[in-house]
Amino acid sequence: MPLIGPTQNRQGGTKKGGARRADNNRIYAHPLPVTFEKSQSWANHILGLFGVSGTRVLNPHCTGIYDPDTRSVWVVDSKDAMILWRRGFFGKGDLSRSEPSWRTRQISAKRAAAGKFMTAEEIREKRRAERKQFKLDRAAAIAQAAAEAEAAFAEGREAKSSVIIPSGATWKPQQSVPDESPSPSPTPDAEQTPEFDEDSVPDLEHMQLTLQEAFFLAWNLDCLTIIDPTTSGPMTLKHIWTAFQQVHGIPHIPSVMPEIYANRFDNPFLVNYAAYHYYRSLGWVIKGGIKFCVDLLLYKRGPVFHHAEFAIVVIPVYEDPADQETSPFELANSQPFSWTWLSTVNRVNSQVQKTLILTYVTIPARSRVSQELLSSPACLAHYTVREVVLRRFIPARMRD
Amino acid sequence: MEQHPSYTELSALVPKYPRSAGALFQTYNDLKLAQQWTDLEVVDLTSCSRGALKGRRPKVEAVLCVIPCSLAESLSIAWLHDAFGELGSPPHIYLAINTEDSSIVYYKISPGIVKPPV
Repeated sequence: MPLIGPTQNRQGGTKKGGARRADNNRIYAHPLPVTFEKSQSWANHILGLFGVSGTRVLNPHCTGIYDPDTRSVWVVDSKDAMILWRRGFFGKGDLSRSEPSWRTRQISAKRAAAGKFMTAEEIREKRRAERKQFKLDRAAAIAQAAAEAEAAFAEGREAKSSVIIPSGATWKPQQSVPDESPSPSPTPDAEQTPEFDEDSVPDLEHMQLTLQEAFFLAWNLDCLTIIDPTTSGPMTLKHIWTAFQQVHGIPHIPSVMPEIYANRFDNPFLVNYAAYHYYRSLGWVIKGGIKFCVDLLLYKRGPVFHHAEFAIVVIPVYEDPADQETSPFELANSQPFSWTWLSTVNRVNSQVQKTLILTYVTIPARSRVSQELLSSPACLAHYTVREVVLRRFIPARMRD
Repeated sequence: MEQHPSYTELSALVPKYPRSAGALFQTYNDLKLAQQWTDLEVVDLTSCSRGALKGRRPKVEAVLCVIPCSLAESLSIAWLHDAFGELGSPPHIYLAINTEDSSIVYYKISPGIVKPPV
């Protein structure tokens, strides 16, 4: 059950920050989908003294369907989607901003329309419109007071301001249409909800995992089974490994990859996976960074706890420049970039208080590393990842 | 994708332009279901080899044009110019840039300098 509106406690009031934090700590307690079950029996305690662990590993065994058109893996079952989101923040609902919540929002919108009260989004719009009106009123009052003071000064008498400048606490919105405005209430009471059939709203949303997230779950944690859309059967790890690389070949014949695209270390999937695996294995939660003109956003614990602190731009570097000349892939950011671009991205991210990090992923040379390694993830050991942290330095102001 | 109810609307253009099928599907779903656009129709944009979308945004009268594309693609000014021409020279179009995790960022593009609203 996604947490859409303000959470309720037993008295019916909305929860404050501390309770919400405790709630989040409870719901998002597990950093990965795989959990451990510690057994407390004395038999296990005895075994523990001998060095034998009594802990069991609980694997949720989620299922996803590979979709080559959108280059992603779809998790259609909502329980699996919730597990993957709540334990590690994997994936994104394709009609929502984070976890799949489209159906819940549709139902609450229909309830609000039927019961004539407002949804959370409408309350937000109303609050923003009122704040805008307050700012206009305040600016007009200040201008009027200033004009009166000017006039008084010009005439040589004392300025007596008869204008009251509204403050946030005392300003009231003008009720222009008093009968039509609905009474705002954040959540509906059970008695007021009219008969509404929840089953009439179909679930048209799925959770979408990027290829990197899906491979991480399937290979490292073994908690995701990926289904082939054409055969409806589970894909083997080898098949997944090759298919995820082939999707970057000639796109309209996904299963056929001419030789020029095959067996290359600079396949976009491999380069992005190297960076993804590196940060995940260090414990960071990784989401997409398109909203901030970067590749990845790193969260310490997850998006629900705090905004992302770091914005990552993945820059592929070829160990052997000849490989780049013969490459059929045009990897993003592989060409030297301009100062204006770097400056722009840094500005965008410092506006939102994120630190920009340039992550250089070195692609091994075909001359040095055998191509046979590409048949398995063992080739990832030959990629190196280095970071450069970027901060704008203003000598005149940053003396402390 | 074929099992999704939205596929019937897109069934003409998805096989014709397979490279942009994913972007078209994601953008169509986002506009129709999440953004609640009305009168949504799919148009064939041959000069850009993809399908584009025309519809009405909630609380806006005019019909708006949205062109889906994916983050991996490289676009050019000539490409945008052709798109404007084929869509009947609208005052502005929206470029929907799709990503693999299903995030979509919309950019409003006009064919010249636009004065900011007062």
